[in-house]
Amino acid sequence: MPSRISRILGSVRIADLPRRRVCRVAPATTLGEVYRRLEEEESVAVLVEEDGVLVGIFTERDVLDRTALEADPATPVGELMTRDDLVTLDAGQPITDAIAIMTARRIRHIPLVDADGKEDGMIGGRDVLRLIADYYPETLLNLPPRLHQRLTRPEGG
Amino acid sequence: MRCPGCGVDNIPGVDACENCGTDLAGLDLPEARGGFGARLLNDRLSDLELSQPVLATPSTPVAEAISAMRERRCGCALVLDDGELVGIFNERHVLTRVLRRHRDPAATPISEVMSPDPLRLSIDDPPAFAVHCMVAYGFRHLPVLDGDELKGYVSVRNILEYIDKRHAG
Repeated sequence: MPSRISRILGSVRIADLPRRRVCRVAPATTLGEVYRRLEEEESVAVLVEEDGVLVGIFTERDVLDRTALEADPATPVGELMTRDDLVTLDAGQPITDAIAIMTARRIRHIPLVDADGKEDGMIGGRDVLRLIADYYPETLLNLPPRLHQRLTRPEGG
Repeated sequence: MRCPGCGVDNIPGVDACENCGTDLAGLDLPEARGGFGARLLNDRLSDLELSQPVLATPSTPVAEAISAMRERRCGCALVLDDGELVGIFNERHVLTRVLRRHRDPAATPISEVMSPDPLRLSIDDPPAFAVHCMVAYGFRHLPVLDGDELKGYVSVRNILEYIDKRHAG
């Protein structure tokens, strides 16, 4: 008999998770504007769309890897986004598919696309952790107060 | 009891979800010893594959830390002063504290943009502590120590890999 965690994860579809707010921009949007949106909207990635169709993604990791040290903030995001090997999922797929792709491909944020190819949001690694926390609240949220005390400062620190 | 299929709250003990028919039998039974919930509390962070951080000192230029984070495909740099952990710098800080504040990465010491005195976990803590800190407080990277010795850090990715392995087993 499959374990409880397998049953939970196997039966939850991506669509069942609470949706995160998605930050959408056009390919012509400048990096400077993308940085501003990411900060002000407390978002970790922008989905890049042209005429309502998803054409790429640009994440915080891409900022670190591709633009932080060299790119002019006036550069259009379309030139530096991930476009060619863009991984997408359908919201109808089980959450286990998302976990498998995140771990195998070393990506944390995956755009969702429906059967008609229309962008349908995004799932991130933290959404999966929230789900786990939701099903094990007694394990995760009733942790002893010692945890918080100990974490504030190392002893004598 | 919440249905894992549709999220509807059902009367405890029912065999199937009244809304979508998903089989709920057994979901509300206490979990067998060794189940995932117990593992979250009984495993130790030493059972996970921890990530190895980029190490910096307070005077390390941010640009140098960023280059090392690129090369090592690493999400954070830990800042040590005389061997003691004094700060953490991550991908988010590149955006919010360097680029958005128009700081020159080559001329900014990491101590000006790091988060000082980061939360830290012990190698003997259970994975549940890490999940708790990530979900409840929004931390992405948690340094893990064995006594005074830095053993690495645990990230959202490490936890996903742990879940991926455990739910299969």
